[in-house]
Amino acid sequence: MPSPAGRPAPGRPLAPGQAVPSERERLLSILAGAGADRPACVIPGGMMNMTTTEVARAAGVGLPQAHTDPAEMVRLARAAHDLAGIENYGVPFCMTVEAEGMGAEVDLGGATCEPHVVSGAIPSAADLGELRPLDPTRGRAATTLEAIRALHGLDDGVPVVGNLVGAVSVAGTVLDMEVLLREMVRRREQAHALCELVAQGLVAYGRAMVEAGADVVCIAEPSGTGEILGPRLFGAYTVRYLNEVIAGIGAPATIVHICGRLDRVLDEVARIDCDAFSFDATISVRAMRERLPGRVLMGNVSTFALEEATPEKVRTMTGVTLRSGVDVVAPACGISMSTPTENLRAMTDAVRRWAPGRQGALGRASASQTTSRGER
Amino acid sequence: MAARSKEELIGELRDCVVDMEDERVADVAREYVDAGYDVRDGIFDGLVAGMNRVAELYEEEEYFIPELLICSDAMYNGLDVMKPMLEGSDAPQKGTVVIGVVQGDTHDIGKNLVKIMLESSGYRVVDLGRDIAPERFVEAVRDNDADVVAMSTLMSTSMANMGKVVEALEAAGLRGRVKVIVGGGPISQAFSDKIGADGYSRTATDAVKLLDRLLGYADAGAESLEASRA
Repeated sequence: MPSPAGRPAPGRPLAPGQAVPSERERLLSILAGAGADRPACVIPGGMMNMTTTEVARAAGVGLPQAHTDPAEMVRLARAAHDLAGIENYGVPFCMTVEAEGMGAEVDLGGATCEPHVVSGAIPSAADLGELRPLDPTRGRAATTLEAIRALHGLDDGVPVVGNLVGAVSVAGTVLDMEVLLREMVRRREQAHALCELVAQGLVAYGRAMVEAGADVVCIAEPSGTGEILGPRLFGAYTVRYLNEVIAGIGAPATIVHICGRLDRVLDEVARIDCDAFSFDATISVRAMRERLPGRVLMGNVSTFALEEATPEKVRTMTGVTLRSGVDVVAPACGISMSTPTENLRAMTDAVRRWAPGRQGALGRASASQTTSRGER
Repeated sequence: MAARSKEELIGELRDCVVDMEDERVADVAREYVDAGYDVRDGIFDGLVAGMNRVAELYEEEEYFIPELLICSDAMYNGLDVMKPMLEGSDAPQKGTVVIGVVQGDTHDIGKNLVKIMLESSGYRVVDLGRDIAPERFVEAVRDNDADVVAMSTLMSTSMANMGKVVEALEAAGLRGRVKVIVGGGPISQAFSDKIGADGYSRTATDAVKLLDRLLGYADAGAESLEASRA
């Protein structure tokens, strides 16, 4: 059944004799707006980290070593794909690489705790001159690129996602976010100069990801959200620098994830030049579909449910998400490190078993009334 | 030049906060203090009333977090001038709140907004900062004889650490003495119930109403302000 914009929906039955696409072919076809035999099920990586304590333990991969050693990073990404059924490889497993590369101090965490930034790099936007531009040939950016190269080299039909943190979120990490928010209103030139410097680094790093073999670049904005900035600043900063970075990288396909509520900024979101848009559990897929016709939508299985609910409940919630008409099923935000593998499996299996043909009229039509609103 | 009236200056203090005049507010506060007007009235009817209006604008989605931050700068800059003039300096307080971002997270804007709103509504706030281990919450409750623990996180990945704080309070025998409230992007009422917190609020302004309710300052807002001013 065609989607409202006439875009071929995932869930188009295969023609007789047509081969089942690889995970890579399916995802890229969906992101290109060409549909596929069924929705894909991914956890892109980065802020939406695909690893868990349980997967790392089962694979015998040490944390935090997998954040700094490319071979371990590759092993952990493969384990998440193999053990949890996630239909991609996504690196890195955190949202601290860019800020650390620009001089922020990072605690790499451990088996149960993700890396996180401990302190920024500069006290005010006026200290911009002291900021180190992001150099993709150094530090954990280089680690990540090496892992992408190796994952691409496997040539096993699994799409490789390279993950970036958006310019506003990185700027709000190297400089304290509260300081940045004030500068955005008070000293716009300085705030823009900082975001611009960050964006240039992201372009260099993102291009290197594509050169290393990333099929998809996913950019997450956990801090540069409409909820925090309001429509005017969200448009002037978040959307502007997302588009600058997307255009500068020129990846084969781009996913953008914005955290938080979006109801006040849907017009601005519609201006983001990404192939797929990923969003939080607080937003109904139906509302997004109405406001972003023709856009590939990705989301939004509650990460709270993934961590806490029974596999049966996860299966049910994944079904709700599928019926609501997303093109790519994914967690609504970053999953907790303590998410059980059987719950990830419940989500990915539910997508794999999804047979929209069998749903008939109960498929997208009635599901368009359904929202996946609820606890995350 | 004739001195300006008390009402005029109070109105201007309020406007400075609402209009993000974080520098001019100090001059107005000084003019008010120098004229010998009642400092408490200037603080509550001027600065705090302005901040309450800002909270309304935030709830109406006219203002967002950047505006809220600059308005609160203005309130605090005014307070810096006026507070030392308060006799006895200790304004009566509704209670002591220990607040912090839980371990594993350094996003503290939400926490800071709650702190601003609680302070302007008459609570004493002990701010632990961000990335705070459970034992530090426990210590702070003990050291400050606190009535409330308020926790925040923006990251779904560090939500579970809120539960650990509740457990640590229990282990220390302090859980019965304090109310625990939680908030932040990924937090929900269901999650709050699950970890055994006393309440969840979605916004910083709701956090004040929640605490007022939990601590028995029923009709929050104007009346509690009156109470804390008495």
